[in-house]
Amino acid sequence: MQENYLAKWLSGELSEQELAEFKKSAEYASYQKIIEASSSLKAPEFDVDQALSRLKEERTGNAPKVVALNPFKKFLRVAAVVALLITGSYFYVNSLDESISTQFAERSEVILPDNSEIILNAGSKVSYSEKNWDKKRNITLKGEAFFKVAKGKKFTVSTTHGTVAVLGTQFNVENREGFFEVTCFEGLVSVIFNGNETKLPAGASFLAINGEVMASSAPNTTQPSWVDNESSFERIPLGYVLGELERQYNIVVNTENVDKNLLFTGTFSNTDLKMALKSISTPSRMNYKIEGDNVLFYAEKTP
Amino acid sequence: MKNVCEEQVFSSIFKTNSKTVFNYIYYKFGNEEKAHDAVQEAFVKLWENCANVMPEKAKSYLYTVANNLYLNVIKAEKVRLKYAKPTLEISNESPEFLLEEKEYQQKLDKVLNNLPENQRTTFLLNRIDGKKYAEIAEMEGVSVKAIEKRMHLALKTLREQIDGI
Repeated sequence: MQENYLAKWLSGELSEQELAEFKKSAEYASYQKIIEASSSLKAPEFDVDQALSRLKEERTGNAPKVVALNPFKKFLRVAAVVALLITGSYFYVNSLDESISTQFAERSEVILPDNSEIILNAGSKVSYSEKNWDKKRNITLKGEAFFKVAKGKKFTVSTTHGTVAVLGTQFNVENREGFFEVTCFEGLVSVIFNGNETKLPAGASFLAINGEVMASSAPNTTQPSWVDNESSFERIPLGYVLGELERQYNIVVNTENVDKNLLFTGTFSNTDLKMALKSISTPSRMNYKIEGDNVLFYAEKTP
Repeated sequence: MKNVCEEQVFSSIFKTNSKTVFNYIYYKFGNEEKAHDAVQEAFVKLWENCANVMPEKAKSYLYTVANNLYLNVIKAEKVRLKYAKPTLEISNESPEFLLEEKEYQQKLDKVLNNLPENQRTTFLLNRIDGKKYAEIAEMEGVSVKAIEKRMHLALKTLREQIDGI
């Protein structure tokens, strides 16, 4: 009998001889019965049309959406973005604070929208919001400036060290590294320093060096001396005096064997460097050398 | 040349093959619901790839997709098959004969379920769907000889177990 003869028998591929032999075998009847019985077997119902319509439903549900191409649309999109950028930057620039700054050896005068005046000393910067000026008179200051405030709502000067608030007055604020001085020339100024409020009447001064409030003498002038091209100091550490000198003349000051914490009382000119150098060196018993933009102060040789 | 993406070609492929795909999966796993899903899945895949599948290859593509879908995923369940209602002629038989007949069918059912999946599928595709060995070989992706072997073994096992019980 050949290989897989049962399969061959079923498909009618057996030779006559093989078939006759198979029919004689004892199992033939059993096989015959299996084939007969299995021929009446049925698989579960399957509705082809229903399955097809279900499939089509699924397919249309998943079909990608058709998007009409419109070249003009692309242009519109770009145009919209450009328009948005332009209006956006317009409002952004408008809302930016107005800012005025001075370089070293330079001074500037600022007239605010309410005719208040600010005179900026060298190496200083003020910024304020022109748009909101009517609602809020707020100035941010870096450096030193003299304020002549027109009467009106509260006028605030914010600095890194403290806040100065007034109604209408004339006052000077100096806000340098480690140095904060407010001098009131007219009216009443309120200084908030480290959360403490100090009220300064006309002719009074508030001074803090390195975060420490120092006693300070009252000026006997109607405006700060620097407005008249002089820098005045009263018991101020020499380091800050030299810092002011650098700003007024845009020079670099170096020292040799000089104690910068020495207190200096005096005035130097903001227009004549030689005079200014003499004014500083003589009372402090120092010598100086000028090399281009560099000035070197050195201690007088002790005899 | 005909393209599977054409609605008519696709529909005709569906009409000729869906029932067999259904039975094929059912014989393998004995799960009617999964068999229905397999038909859907296989034809959706065919439609998605209609541009890449030649119409003459569509058939084997369908069986491959349907088979892979549940390969190692679902546990085979009991295959429940119905028997065609006895014809009038047969119903004239004696009650004893009918009872015997019924008992025999139950035996056959049981033994069929005990067959290895590939032998059962081959046997039922041939007996119920009247598929030729060559066609079954194409569906299963094996040689005709392998199908003949499965058929031979299926018959042999069926007889041994039915006679043995």
